[in-house]
Amino acid sequence: MSPTRPLILLPPSGKRQVTVMDFIYAQKLEEALDALRSQAGRAKVLAGGTDLMIQIARGEKQPQALIFIGQLKDDLATISLSQDGYLNIGALVTHRQICADRHIQANYPALATASASVGGWQTQSVGTLAGNICNASPAADTIPPLLVHEAVVTVQSAARGLRDVLLEHFITGRRQIAIENDEMVVGITLAPPPADTADAYLKVGRRKAMEVAIAGLAMRLTMAGPETVGELRVATCATGPVSRRASEVEALFSGQKLTNELVTQGASLLGRMIQPIDDTRASAEYRKLVIPKLFRGAVLECLAKLGIAISGLEKS
Amino acid sequence: MKINLKVNGILEEVEVDASAVLLDVLRDKLHLTGTKEGCREGECGACTVLIDGQPVDSCLYSAAAAANAEIETVEGISANGLSAIQKAMVEEGGIQCGFCTPGIVMTLTALLRQNADPTPQDVAVALNGNICRCTGYSRIVSATLKAAKNAMAQKAGDAHA
Repeated sequence: MSPTRPLILLPPSGKRQVTVMDFIYAQKLEEALDALRSQAGRAKVLAGGTDLMIQIARGEKQPQALIFIGQLKDDLATISLSQDGYLNIGALVTHRQICADRHIQANYPALATASASVGGWQTQSVGTLAGNICNASPAADTIPPLLVHEAVVTVQSAARGLRDVLLEHFITGRRQIAIENDEMVVGITLAPPPADTADAYLKVGRRKAMEVAIAGLAMRLTMAGPETVGELRVATCATGPVSRRASEVEALFSGQKLTNELVTQGASLLGRMIQPIDDTRASAEYRKLVIPKLFRGAVLECLAKLGIAISGLEKS
Repeated sequence: MKINLKVNGILEEVEVDASAVLLDVLRDKLHLTGTKEGCREGECGACTVLIDGQPVDSCLYSAAAAANAEIETVEGISANGLSAIQKAMVEEGGIQCGFCTPGIVMTLTALLRQNADPTPQDVAVALNGNICRCTGYSRIVSATLKAAKNAMAQKAGDAHA
């Protein structure tokens, strides 16, 4: 008699019984806004859904209705440049579109780099820049580059029309945004960068692709002379509950001669300022060590893009 | 709710929950089990299908949102026998356990349609959302380059014929 084969126990299925009451296909922007108003906080706006669908499956979000805006591509999936050089990125513009956009590659390359590192191709195909902002993850790649370019978020409601908010004020906490129940994001606007400006986005992950940032840093450097900084802006992600500009560090550089000592000082101050946590991806201690390296790396990358070599300023 | 899904060119009416993801509808309602469930959280790419020609993780794409779109699964691209990339995967040994293969085939199908002559780096970047724990990827990359080469040779042959 052959021994009884042990039963192979299958793990419980990840499928949960979640019931969303309504799925609303908005055919026009006005319909989406009307639905948001009438649902009064019970609805979530759905675009690519790469964050929202998983949050629903996990039971983290339990909307009564989903308002699908994917059919509003004519209104919201466009990247447009105004006559005075302001770039408007519609709420349905995907990371894939951002990476491929020539104007973004030329003027805001840090944003293109960040969008190219949000998940894999599958996420970038349907995941939107606006969604990345609204999800307000502390590790969202696109938020630091948008912060250093002082992005403005445009929200709209049926009752009050359009409203502009600085991204810095739009993200109020970990996964928290300043938006009313009846409002949705319709676009993100970036001002034209000044002359002699370069930017960079650097990220640390455990592998090169498909990785949630252990830490990320965006910088925008504007030079006022061959070795003199006009303005340096820096913002980090996965280094605290909310991505923020580091204004104390920025102030050190304003109008100063760019030297190795100053960069070391700025890097070290930034490392002390951030308030990271220990999590599954890395320890707080590691993040405090790696951020100063990213800071220096970003200065060097910006200078390289500007074609400026400063003696004594090298990789540490 | 009832939705119409156009899968591999065929319009299918299915009853779905408003929160259903496309993966479950493909596998459980339409019995298209070539699309695999791996991590179920958009990390591994085993469930990759094409929506309007773009690779998407069907485990986190709303089924209702996919109504009115062109959905392609691995069954569709092999309806008339193995496709060029599938043949090359077999010939080059790009498959070991095979679980990631349908997803990889779909991503590479999208890549080869958009870029007829990819570099190894292009292939690596395209595959950044597909995890394979067996092959180490190098034979998948060589299979892709071979499929591209074969397709270009065939096109040149057709032009001369």
